[in-house]
Amino acid sequence: MRAALKPLWRRWLAKRIPPAASVRLNQRRIFILPSRVGAVFAVALLLMLLVGINYQNSLAYGLTFLLVSVFVVTILHTYRNLAGLVLKAGGGGAVFVGEHARFRVRLESPERERQAVALGWPPSDLVVRDVPRQGQTEVDLSQPAVRRGWLRPERLRVESRFPLGLLVAWSWVDLDQAVLVYPRPLEGELPLSAGLGDEEEEGMRARGQGADDFQGLREYQPGDSKRRLDWKAYSRGQGLLVKDFAMLSGRDLWLDFDSLGGDSEQRLSLLCHWVLQFTERQQAFGLQLPGQVIAPDYGEGHRDACLRALALFGARA
Amino acid sequence: MSSLPGIPRIALTWLLVAQVLVIVPHLVHLPLWMIALWLGAAGWRVQIFRMRARYPNGWAKGGLVLLVLAGILLSRGTLVGLDAASVLLIATFTLKLLEMRTRRDALVLIFLGFFCVVTAYLFEDGILAALYSLLPVTALLTALVGLQHSGFAERPWPPLRLAGGLVLQAVPLMLLLFVFFPRMGPLWSLPLPNDKGVTGLSDSMEPADIAELSRSSALAFRASFESEVPPRGQLYWRALTLERFDGRRWSQSGYADVPVAPQWSKAGAPLDYNIIMQPSGKRWLYALDVGEMAQDSGRMMNDFRWQRLRPVDRPLLYQVRSWPEAVRQAQAEPPGIRQALQLPQQGDPRSRAWAAELKAQYPQSDALVAAVLQHFNREPYVYTLRPQPLGSDSVDDFLFNTRRGFCAHYAGAMTFVLRAAGIPARVVAGYQGGELNPSGNYIQVRQFDAHAWVEYWQPGQGWRSVDPTFQVAPERIEQGLEEALTEEDGFLDDQPFSPLRYRELAWLNQLRMSWENLNYGWQRWVLGYQGEQQLKLLQNWFGSFDWQRLALVLVGTGALLIGLLALCLLKPWQQRPDPQRQAFRKYERLLARHDVRREAGEGARSFALRAAQQLPEQAAQIETFARCFEQQRYAGGPASRDALRKALSDLRSALPWRLSR
Amino acid sequence: MRTKLDTCLDSVNQVLLGKEAQVRLALTCLLARGHLLIEDLPGMGKTTLSHALARVLGLSFQRIQFTSDLLPGDILGTSVFDKDSGQFVFHPGPIFAELVLADEINRATPKSQSALLEAMEEGQVTIEGATRPLPEPFFVIATQNPVSSGGTFALPESQLDRFLMRLSLGYPAQAAERALLLGDARRDLLPRMESILDHAELARLQAQVPKVRASDALIDYVLRLVEATRSQPQFAWGLSPRASLALLAAARAWALLAERDYVIPEDVQAVLPSVVGHRLRERADPTGHGGGSLVQWLLREVPAL
Repeated sequence: MRAALKPLWRRWLAKRIPPAASVRLNQRRIFILPSRVGAVFAVALLLMLLVGINYQNSLAYGLTFLLVSVFVVTILHTYRNLAGLVLKAGGGGAVFVGEHARFRVRLESPERERQAVALGWPPSDLVVRDVPRQGQTEVDLSQPAVRRGWLRPERLRVESRFPLGLLVAWSWVDLDQAVLVYPRPLEGELPLSAGLGDEEEEGMRARGQGADDFQGLREYQPGDSKRRLDWKAYSRGQGLLVKDFAMLSGRDLWLDFDSLGGDSEQRLSLLCHWVLQFTERQQAFGLQLPGQVIAPDYGEGHRDACLRALALFGARA
Repeated sequence: MSSLPGIPRIALTWLLVAQVLVIVPHLVHLPLWMIALWLGAAGWRVQIFRMRARYPNGWAKGGLVLLVLAGILLSRGTLVGLDAASVLLIATFTLKLLEMRTRRDALVLIFLGFFCVVTAYLFEDGILAALYSLLPVTALLTALVGLQHSGFAERPWPPLRLAGGLVLQAVPLMLLLFVFFPRMGPLWSLPLPNDKGVTGLSDSMEPADIAELSRSSALAFRASFESEVPPRGQLYWRALTLERFDGRRWSQSGYADVPVAPQWSKAGAPLDYNIIMQPSGKRWLYALDVGEMAQDSGRMMNDFRWQRLRPVDRPLLYQVRSWPEAVRQAQAEPPGIRQALQLPQQGDPRSRAWAAELKAQYPQSDALVAAVLQHFNREPYVYTLRPQPLGSDSVDDFLFNTRRGFCAHYAGAMTFVLRAAGIPARVVAGYQGGELNPSGNYIQVRQFDAHAWVEYWQPGQGWRSVDPTFQVAPERIEQGLEEALTEEDGFLDDQPFSPLRYRELAWLNQLRMSWENLNYGWQRWVLGYQGEQQLKLLQNWFGSFDWQRLALVLVGTGALLIGLLALCLLKPWQQRPDPQRQAFRKYERLLARHDVRREAGEGARSFALRAAQQLPEQAAQIETFARCFEQQRYAGGPASRDALRKALSDLRSALPWRLSR
Repeated sequence: MRTKLDTCLDSVNQVLLGKEAQVRLALTCLLARGHLLIEDLPGMGKTTLSHALARVLGLSFQRIQFTSDLLPGDILGTSVFDKDSGQFVFHPGPIFAELVLADEINRATPKSQSALLEAMEEGQVTIEGATRPLPEPFFVIATQNPVSSGGTFALPESQLDRFLMRLSLGYPAQAAERALLLGDARRDLLPRMESILDHAELARLQAQVPKVRASDALIDYVLRLVEATRSQPQFAWGLSPRASLALLAAARAWALLAERDYVIPEDVQAVLPSVVGHRLRERADPTGHGGGSLVQWLLREVPAL
């Protein structure tokens, strides 16, 4: 029954609260019901009412009515704690399978202060934050990355039980967030295929940074590998210098999907490992996947492009 | 989420504060060791919080529970009954503190706390108690706020402010519910606190009993008159009649319990008044002779007293119409009249002899009665609350030796003499007089106003009331007990702080009167607001009245109140788009239907230009609207919704009709 | 009065062909009492524009060619011992003109640059202890060559902020260039131009700018723009309050030029690129040049209403 209703529920929600990078909670989007504590409270009130009736005690009636009214007033307060809250999607970096994908959500409150706003994907625990008046709070949520490809989380639950915990106001928002999940790197032997097709041993030419040939020293720039620092020069007081190596082209490394064994996920994991390894060594390499070829290059941009290709391999035509 | 372990410091503090506040009103009836129990439990809990002590284990908890049960058994003698149950509740409330590890436990404690507050109302329901109870309720709500996972709850005062605000905001709705929520009778009968109704008249009277009562300033009842209050001397509030005499003690006869109204006939002008009676634990009601009440207030018994089916165990409001000049049982031989002639077989020979003497001298009953009264008036009788003890022939001793006594002595003696002379007579017990509260037009009758007088029967004339005490101490009747006792300081001399002793201090008296007034209103309009009272009020307000209408009013007004509060809280006007913007949105929607959509960063003027290019036939109307909007929004022109509306409707009529694109 | 402004524009446009928008912005900048930075290749007509503006507005004009050996004294002036009188006599530098063209400002050392910029900021110069007020009105047009960066000292952000606007003239459209080639040498036209406004009229116009109505709705738009630069991740840093003041002042002047006594969002959008372009940087490229794409983003995404 529940399972049958779920798609219907999803469709209804998608209509009511369409996915957007920024969602402002309003009366169309906030649901509110008594919480379990509220139900117990109601039972307690019923008992108090019985005392009032049986003892014909006006004050017992009075207190019961006061607490009933507090309950009713709390509906407004709980609703108010969420109403007008703006949720904005923040960026989240790519992760590898097995890691936790992080989704950053920014809570903005254009008007009042908000207390104990809880965010998360049930059944896992919700993260509780306060949002200052006319301010914002950032919440980092995480979900385990189980499969490579785009990780699109379920709708995010935003809820608040403030001030008394008797009621819970909640909403399900889709901030249209997605995190790219790369395959899990897997160590292993790599049969290298060098070059595509015919291989002419033409003159090799130094091509950018590499690990092959010492080119000389140059000034350190942020981002250079620490392993290449010329500490001797530094101790001589010549400043931070980096040993510059050049990679020789013509001996381009190719990572070839087809040359590997194992099932495709294993192959992708292995490729992933080597993409990381080569980038670490600042070595240029190319990536060859069925239906996709990435020309040899090096650097972080190249690495990201390769990893992305691996992550999305087979996902979309 | 609520079961996460750990209770924040502030919440714990507020819980402890709330506990103290909850327990304080119970102190009056709690055994003293409960205080020690609470102190111990609170200390232990604080030490647990400071990691200096551990939670009690199963054995310790079991032991504590047994100890508490034993304590209750010892101090209350029983584990059942309201009194013991309330002690048990407080003990649970206290011990739960030790067991409180998680937020859920704290919630249980808070809900228990609300129950304890309700229980306190059963023992004390005065105006002060009611106001006071707002403190523990607010503290409990504060603790509830403090349990929330918010930085807000880490500061001590904001939760209090919030909880106080919640309570204040809830008050209007609460009043509405209080007035309109239908009251019903008890679903089942429940034990009442047993320390109620200790003072008051009882169904048998030894003279000393009334002397005892005269030491109490406790309120017996209040009577508010719709017309002018009759003079004091006429205020004889009948409670019951005492017809059986055993030589020492007057008591109710079995015959008086026959629930058959005696025959009587109305005469003269009636008096209408309401009585709010304090709980007496007895079934009879108070009324001036001869009272008439609604059927469901009580029944008239054979001796003209009014009686309820169940004892008066909570303040009771009832309405009476009295006919002071009514003729009672004027028929020839009313049933049970023989009881009014009952005397012990022997004893008090001198009195009997005197009666015979009088009988011989005055064959007419009226004359005889007048002679007896004359006797009390002429002979040196003294009205005192401290008479000498009487011997075994108590009437003789009183009439011929001591001649010192108070109402019960005089009434008893006179009845004895009348009966001995063959005139049916009985002692009437009740209250006489009362204190007039001038601002409230009502009379307060206290226990020290308890009184006894005599009524005798004559064929053809029925029962007549006479008061021998009036002959001895007229000031007792006309001004009250205090005046009658000016020579001796017997008036409330064991209550040095009773404000009633200081009536001569005008301002204090004024203050006391105002306070009494307030209490009277409280009794009448709050505590007495039960079934009948509610029906009457609602009928007054709405004329004819049915529950359907009531429900409508309740829901309607409730919705209105909540709506108002929502307006105050949410301030929708702060985020409501202004009329210009609303109009512009309509304009955009209209143009969007014709496939001209505004970009987010596009201003009104550039959008209008683009739209005019795409819809050249309507260019004039589009530009008119844009100009009008610009004038109002940017040029400081007068904000006129109508101008915008008109421009918009012009545009709409210029455009071909289209629902959507 | 306002039609005179139009005449001014027409007059300048006759000299500088096909640059109506830039001329308008430059005049806006002047009306808002701001200084102008022109970033362009040589030969694009920067000098012509400055000179023409000075002519039509009846302002005295001075040009300072900034070079690496230029000293502050060369800008501000020096005291020279006069043998005849036996006293030091102050020789005012070229800055004591109503319209100063600071050509290729990035060629000078930071020391000389700051001498000019401080004068711009304070409206006065302090030389050898004596404070001398600059003329009123005082208007600086500085130019920068964006390409040849060898041996130059680019203006730091803090200094850039002192210019109300940054403009780029760019290549003329083909038709305009054709007219340029066919017509007279433009510089020859300059001496023939007549001043259209006098000092009093200019002062009155400048005084009118702050009186142009900026409604609450408009201020909200400016706030939204500024807030977007402060909160959106692609901006390396947000606009300063000085920048938002500048934006509003420029928008007012623009509205005045359009003969309106109130500002509409389109005015803000018209001046936005030149007012905030040099004050913004992309986060991904904090050393990079200009925030052109950021400004486009602001124009596109920030709700105008």
